[in-house]
Amino acid sequence: MIDRSPKPPEALMRAIAQDLRPVKPSPQPLQLALRMIPLALLISSAILLAVGPRQDLNVLGPFLTWGASAAQFMLAIALIWIAAHESIPAGRLPRQIVYAAAVAGLLFVVFVTLLTFSTSPATAPLVRVPPQVNEMLRDSPWIMGFGCGIGSTVAGGILVLFFSWAFRNSLATRPTMAGALYGAGAGLAINAGWRIACPFSTPWHALGAHGAAIIATVLLGALIGRYLGKRRSHIGGRPS
Amino acid sequence: MSEGDQELRGLMIRYQGGSLEAFEEIYAQLATGVRRYLSHLAGGAEFADDLLQETFLQMHRSRAAYNPAYAVKPWVFGLARNVFLMGRRAARRWASVHESREDFPEFPVLPEADRLGSQDEIRRGLAYLSPDQAEALLLHHEWGFSFEEIAGMLGTTAAAARARASRGMADLRAALSSLQRTRA
Repeated sequence: MIDRSPKPPEALMRAIAQDLRPVKPSPQPLQLALRMIPLALLISSAILLAVGPRQDLNVLGPFLTWGASAAQFMLAIALIWIAAHESIPAGRLPRQIVYAAAVAGLLFVVFVTLLTFSTSPATAPLVRVPPQVNEMLRDSPWIMGFGCGIGSTVAGGILVLFFSWAFRNSLATRPTMAGALYGAGAGLAINAGWRIACPFSTPWHALGAHGAAIIATVLLGALIGRYLGKRRSHIGGRPS
Repeated sequence: MSEGDQELRGLMIRYQGGSLEAFEEIYAQLATGVRRYLSHLAGGAEFADDLLQETFLQMHRSRAAYNPAYAVKPWVFGLARNVFLMGRRAARRWASVHESREDFPEFPVLPEADRLGSQDEIRRGLAYLSPDQAEALLLHHEWGFSFEEIAGMLGTTAAAARARASRGMADLRAALSSLQRTRA
């Protein structure tokens, strides 16, 4: 009997045979998302360890401080889980879920910001630093905005780089979207820690400085995702 | 998971462990179907062989991305779709083909639709469907994927995948009767 099953072309077989080292299977989306928690927790809480929590914690209460940040952190992990699904060729979630989660993240940040401001409209910084520094920050609040924006962008950027490494095997059909999702996850996770440390409650500061940092991590994630996707399609070119 | 999927999963695990024979067996089992799927996506067989090679090369480079919890066949078909969409040249071809809707060489013919008309008529009828409907219809009826699997590949819900396939079948019937009336 003639074997009619197709055989791989020789060029393909040569390319395959060149690298047949054993590989370890990637984790499933939930495992991958859960593995991100310790580092995300560590980097997002670094600011709390450095400057301590804001001094109006008693006014805000545990729900608006630790509770809201815990919920925001879980939302961040959910976005990473969705990004992990997006990275599997046959495991994508419906678009509606992807967009709804991204919008939920955005609305949550805005809602918590406004609720925090209405509960404790702290407009002057009370940071645990020498009095003359506090005085300077009162006179020039933009310095605080600049510090929070740059600081949380750098922290978020580190987390995005780590996530990009974790997603290095991503096979996303929309790599820019997958990158933006884990970038948003990094931004939300970092903001969950920074919002408890930052003494400013004004919406312009919380949304302008902290919000800009979230947008920056989304863009960074999207750019890295796009780059990795292009690189994958490039190295996946036809064997010669 | 079906018996075929279980076997493919075992082969994939062996392949991840470094077995060339396992790769050959996976290729032997999936290449024909994947090539036909790529042929459908690209609107012809012209680029299907190139895309098929790229798909299996991509699979090799990303073999670590496979987790044994996934069914292999939808994973590889999803990867093929991914390779097609990532390829600019093929994407341009897709746009031009679906704008013209003229010719679909080597377009697969649904077993269920076989009684509705000749192979040529069915090919012509399929060309009248929207790309989304045709893809869902073929993935379900031609390659036997469940609507949950199709949803995972297309990034939609199982209900939406079912609706696309169902509307596609209804539109195909309408197109076929229209074609048959014209001929008569």
